[in-house]
Amino acid sequence: MKRDIPDLAGGLLLSVIGVFVLVYASTQYDIGLLRRMGPGFFPALLGGVLAVLGLMIALPAIARKGAPIRIAWKEALAVLSAILVFAMGLERAGLVPVTLASVLIASIAAPDRRIGWRLALALIVTALSVVVFHFGLKMTVPLWPGQ
Amino acid sequence: MSGWEGFLHGLSVAVQPDVLIYCVFGVVLGTFVGVLPGIGAMATISLLLPITYYLSPEAALVMLAGVYYGSQYGGAVASILLRLPGTPQSAVTTLDGYPLAQQGRAGVALFTSMISSFFGSFIGIFVLILLSGVLASAATAFGAADYAAMMILGLVAASTIGAKHPAKGLAMVVLGLILGCVGTDVNSGVQRFTFGQTELMDGVNLVALAMGLFGVAEVIANIHVAERTGVPPRVALRDLLPSRAELRRIPFPALRGASLGSFFGALPGTGSTISSFLAYAAERRISRHPERFGNGAIEGVAGPEAANNAAAISAFVPTLALGIPGDPIMALMLGALVIHGVQPGPLMLEARPDMFWGLIASFGIGNLLLLILNLPLIGIWVSMLRIPFRWLYPAILIFVCLGVYSVRGSSFDIFAVALIGAIGYALSLARFNPALLLLGFVLGPLIETNLRRALLISRGDAMVFLQRPIAAAFVIATGLLIVMALVQTIRRKSRGAQEAA
Repeated sequence: MKRDIPDLAGGLLLSVIGVFVLVYASTQYDIGLLRRMGPGFFPALLGGVLAVLGLMIALPAIARKGAPIRIAWKEALAVLSAILVFAMGLERAGLVPVTLASVLIASIAAPDRRIGWRLALALIVTALSVVVFHFGLKMTVPLWPGQ
Repeated sequence: MSGWEGFLHGLSVAVQPDVLIYCVFGVVLGTFVGVLPGIGAMATISLLLPITYYLSPEAALVMLAGVYYGSQYGGAVASILLRLPGTPQSAVTTLDGYPLAQQGRAGVALFTSMISSFFGSFIGIFVLILLSGVLASAATAFGAADYAAMMILGLVAASTIGAKHPAKGLAMVVLGLILGCVGTDVNSGVQRFTFGQTELMDGVNLVALAMGLFGVAEVIANIHVAERTGVPPRVALRDLLPSRAELRRIPFPALRGASLGSFFGALPGTGSTISSFLAYAAERRISRHPERFGNGAIEGVAGPEAANNAAAISAFVPTLALGIPGDPIMALMLGALVIHGVQPGPLMLEARPDMFWGLIASFGIGNLLLLILNLPLIGIWVSMLRIPFRWLYPAILIFVCLGVYSVRGSSFDIFAVALIGAIGYALSLARFNPALLLLGFVLGPLIETNLRRALLISRGDAMVFLQRPIAAAFVIATGLLIVMALVQTIRRKSRGAQEAA
């Protein structure tokens, strides 16, 4: 029997977050009184509620069978690394090279892995983003490295 | 200003070229993303949020709203032709729309869905005008305690009504509320949960949150799913025309669907998806030929499509009249307004009549446009279904990154999108609803402010929530919802145990 891992792990994680928020808010910030709440009151209350809800999700899941989940590792990796490359490179390398690179990375995850359409798509998207964001919206970002 | 006068005044705002063009853009883009499975109104509105910084608040709201109700029209196309809902709201349309398409009546099904959508929208607009005036004048009697209680009711309703796992929904709402606390506390100026990051002083960026949760997470989840679409049949213009017998089966289901939709759309927590399912169930129940349903009943397309469009419009009632979004898409709209420094609520009718009535008039114009554009252009929309998702998603990602960067020129926000996207994907894998997180995030600061104010006024007496009749009604309703959710969960568990034994 496979356990209901998402609910079990997810519930426990939420509980941990809840306890952390409760402890952090009540030690770092002033709780105040009910009539004059401090900045810690609302977050501490929410942290407590989240901790309880997390347990309500996790505890029943211990004995329960779960539906199998399929994680799209390849897709997630390609998409997230494309964004990270974009974030790191935008100000240093400029809009044109970083867009080309990010589209090529993101499209690795597509079912069709040939390079031709990916290059074409990278060129189209780069042209579009230069036109829309550089010329259209006048965003101040370098187009090429060293600008 | 009376309803009719207001509507006329709104028309004069909405036909101004710099508003009208965004209305057209919004509804066309909305139909496009509605047609395409794999990207929905939520992701598109998140993507457009940065662009609204360059627009007037009227134009921004008109455009975003256009995307929302435009996507309701488009959503039916993929549902009918491919049995693949373009939007969750049109999922129920597959039940009878797809059989119709298989019988060679795809054109008739599309015509029915378009005309019913149009009909539903107009009933929705009528209800919106009627209700928001009444509600806004009643809301001037609302105090801080009433607002706080009502918002909490809205959040509990959104996470429990029709939910399989109410606790998971509530947990998302609470997590959203906690995220809403991040940043400078307005009352004391204390930095909460910023951990020394200056970028977090203004709080978690709404644009980054929405784009990560809906843009990035949806792209990851859909790269594989959306590629498996079949080839849609060709639909010519003359295929759209229904026979006289079929035409006669449209008006009453559409009217019933529209009434159901405008009622449930205006309630917090029940949106257009639920109303479309209810409308379908209602049609099947009152039909003299229930066996037709599931095999291509026109009524099964007309009712739900009218209902989801009516609900999409009447969902603006609580958002505009009270400043309280009833569903996550409305939360994004509210976020867009707050970006522009406009606080929707009972005073908006008086303070910003241009915006209020202009938006309502734009609904009329936009829906008319959708009808006269979509019927002749249906062939083009159908051919859009042939665009493979792999050509779209890298472009979506780049626009997400550039869009979030453009808000304040900070690469930190792009990193944040990647992190939030990963979390959003994990949440959807574990079947937690990230839309509820966003709803909590937007409402969080409003609830905290009103809660603090209410208890300050009452000198710390929590009984204030039961002594004021309006607040007490909301508190009791909230309590009932929680009890119902508990009972439902326990009952399901005991049934599950019986089955196991």
